[in-house]
Amino acid sequence: MNLPFKPQDLVQAELPSGAKVLALSYRKLPLLYVVLMLRRGAEGDPEGEEGLADLTAEALTFGTREKGPEELVLAVERLGASFSASSGWDGSFLQLSGLSEDLEELVELAREIYLEPSFPPEEVQRAVERRVARLVKSRDEAERVADELIWKEAMEGTPYAHPTYGTLSSVNGLNREKVQGFYSDNYTPKDTVLLLLGNEDPEALLDRGKGVLEGWQSSSAPSPPKGMPSASQGRKIILVDRPDLTQSQIRIAFCGLSRKDGRYLAFKVMNYILGGGGFSSRLMQRVRSERGYTYGIRSTFHPLGIPGPLIISTFTPTESTASALEEVLRTVEEFSREGPGEEELQEAKSYYRGNFPLRLETPTQLAKEVLELELYGLPLEELSSFPERVGEVKAEEVIAVAREFLSLDAFRAVVIGRVEAFEEAFKGLGSVEVRSFEDVSA
Amino acid sequence: MDFRRHRLDNGLRMLVLEDHTLPILSFQVHFAAGSRHERPGITGISHLFEHMMFRGTKRLGPEEFSKIIQARGGVVNAFTTQDHTTYFENVPAEELELVVELEAHRLKELQITAESLATEREVVRSERKMRIATSPFGAVIEELFALAYLRHPYRWPIIGWDHDIRRLTLGECLDYFRLRYAPNNAVIVVAGDVDPSRVLDLIQRHYGDLPPQALPEEAVEPDPPQRGERRAIFKKVAQLEAFFAAFHVPGLEDPDVFPLLALAHILSSGRSSRLWRRFVKTGRAAEANVMLDPPPFWPKDPALMVLYAVVAPRGSIGELEEGMWEEVETLREGRFEEGEVSKAKKGLRSSFLMRLQTLFFRGLLGGIYEIKAGGFEKAHDVLKGYEGITPERVQEVARRYLHEDNRTVVTLRPVSPEENERLGLLE
Repeated sequence: MNLPFKPQDLVQAELPSGAKVLALSYRKLPLLYVVLMLRRGAEGDPEGEEGLADLTAEALTFGTREKGPEELVLAVERLGASFSASSGWDGSFLQLSGLSEDLEELVELAREIYLEPSFPPEEVQRAVERRVARLVKSRDEAERVADELIWKEAMEGTPYAHPTYGTLSSVNGLNREKVQGFYSDNYTPKDTVLLLLGNEDPEALLDRGKGVLEGWQSSSAPSPPKGMPSASQGRKIILVDRPDLTQSQIRIAFCGLSRKDGRYLAFKVMNYILGGGGFSSRLMQRVRSERGYTYGIRSTFHPLGIPGPLIISTFTPTESTASALEEVLRTVEEFSREGPGEEELQEAKSYYRGNFPLRLETPTQLAKEVLELELYGLPLEELSSFPERVGEVKAEEVIAVAREFLSLDAFRAVVIGRVEAFEEAFKGLGSVEVRSFEDVSA
Repeated sequence: MDFRRHRLDNGLRMLVLEDHTLPILSFQVHFAAGSRHERPGITGISHLFEHMMFRGTKRLGPEEFSKIIQARGGVVNAFTTQDHTTYFENVPAEELELVVELEAHRLKELQITAESLATEREVVRSERKMRIATSPFGAVIEELFALAYLRHPYRWPIIGWDHDIRRLTLGECLDYFRLRYAPNNAVIVVAGDVDPSRVLDLIQRHYGDLPPQALPEEAVEPDPPQRGERRAIFKKVAQLEAFFAAFHVPGLEDPDVFPLLALAHILSSGRSSRLWRRFVKTGRAAEANVMLDPPPFWPKDPALMVLYAVVAPRGSIGELEEGMWEEVETLREGRFEEGEVSKAKKGLRSSFLMRLQTLFFRGLLGGIYEIKAGGFEKAHDVLKGYEGITPERVQEVARRYLHEDNRTVVTLRPVSPEENERLGLLE
């Protein structure tokens, strides 16, 4: 198979401090992409300070020892470049992208931002206020409230059981001191990976990258324990009342796997057939195409440093809420009992094989894949061997994960909508709890 | 971007772009069939029909089209805009013949029935609720367009009014299909790892026998110039107040498009932008932004530039709006900061180059210019357009368009669920 990049275009080096540098050549357009990744994300948020990792990442961009906040922003944006920083679950990312003609300046800016942040107190305070405003505003987005609530239910008992950007009560308590503390404790060479992607020779890029992190020394903090999700038992259905909505949001979560689990690819294929494969998926076929209950339905697998959930998401007009949920559950039950058909299995595998070059068309797509492997300590060869490995996934492996993980005896469900219209119909489905919208969006 | 244009005898135009970097291609069919081709009573038909194109043919079952493409690793989808409907398949290069054959097949043997229309109508109603009725600002923006335009079809949403979606008939759909999906109303784009002569052969073979149609003369009524500000209040359940202000600006082919984009960039792009620094950074707004689509997505006919802001908790919507107009006034007076215009030029160029990374976008750029602005060649002028931006031109367009008489403002006023109930649920 033709690969979208040549393996020799990707080179790497490890510095004595433990920091890692990766360089990738991309010669199609005069663009440059720089990422500094920290192997610590929102799972590292201290209890009660949820959102701290993400705020710390953003606060990197507020100013450096040399440059005040406005000066720093202008230094980047006058180059037509853009930058941002945020935290995911297991990693935090500072990204700069611009034109390759500005390589020198952009690389130096990345170094300065990551290694010499000043965290101006007033800027941090304003960022906290902006985040509070955004959280208040996001209460109007029922889909987002549903996503947050199902996530919390699915990850209960682990350091992952909150939104990466925190909650209204936790974010209100964040300040400059906490940001500085999180930075000092967690931003260390051992946990840092730098990726440079540009239209230069890979070795030249690698040298440039080594120059950025060379000489940076700091003591490393031990990684905090990550915990495990408690195996969910029984059904739990939460109905949230928003009487003004004419369409309900539905979420259903099952336990899944960690990114490093050997069954990862089988699970991915299983998810494609169930609800990850768009119009090829069973859920889309049944719930949208045959019944017309919704415009959109999908299942998403969230592999993490620990077992992450598989979440089914859809929405449907108020009057079809109960029928849509029942149809989803029926589809899941059938699939976990019968497993995939041979044709479905072949289609899913050939989708992933054929889609491989499309998935790696742009440098940012390529960078994302490389960094994910790096983040979870997987060999970079897994990128080029992906089509072959997915082709080897066997029917029995897919059936095994479907049976083990898609059990209707153990799931969490959240429905947000006009509860009085469908509450009665949910009575037979198991333990049902009704909550007010104010409670769940606080 | 080196497109080659060909035309079949039945009027079908095609653009081919060779790029052998990766073994992939983007196949696109653009029809001049958007909400601007509708009339009151059949609003939303373009979009509903886009859905019907996936509902099966005499040979293929519902959604089987998508399944076949996906099983080869492809990405398949479609979208409807105000000006056109676009179908695309981004696939491994070896699937060229398959996508040409399948796309032509559904034009020739589409099978739509009363049952499939009934199911899809419900799907579209669910989509409308998602985009408009239950989205935080969808219904407000719908009202803004309906108020800013008096006559032009841009006054109704692409998805259509709920009443029309419920009412559209099979016969109306079939009539629309016959005319709007005629080969002489379409542009095919093939971009990627292909041999152009093979592309021509395949398209001739599969599309050559489609009969052209006599297209009705275009009857889009332009809006008269606005003669004074229009205002409205929209009440719904919401956490925060907000305002949306629309200014009439020209269509895609007007040279003012480029300085207007610079204006939008100066106001709202990045953290050195004016709206960010003045309102968002200082905690006066939860959000402040400008909505303006860059080429080729900028509408064909005179469009709207929308400035909007969501007030921060405990902030004042009145002060926020006043502040917005003060900021606009400095632009009208030509008071730019040092390097502000050149930063916008570079930012516009850089984001355009970023988009060119994908074959899909390069295909869209050529195809959409061809279908709505008379030729892909105009896509070549985009970078030149950005280069030609000067502080004088930015000031000129600010004065020409960003004035009170040309403004329509809708304010979102939050109400309790009880009051919302009294006003009636949004559909």
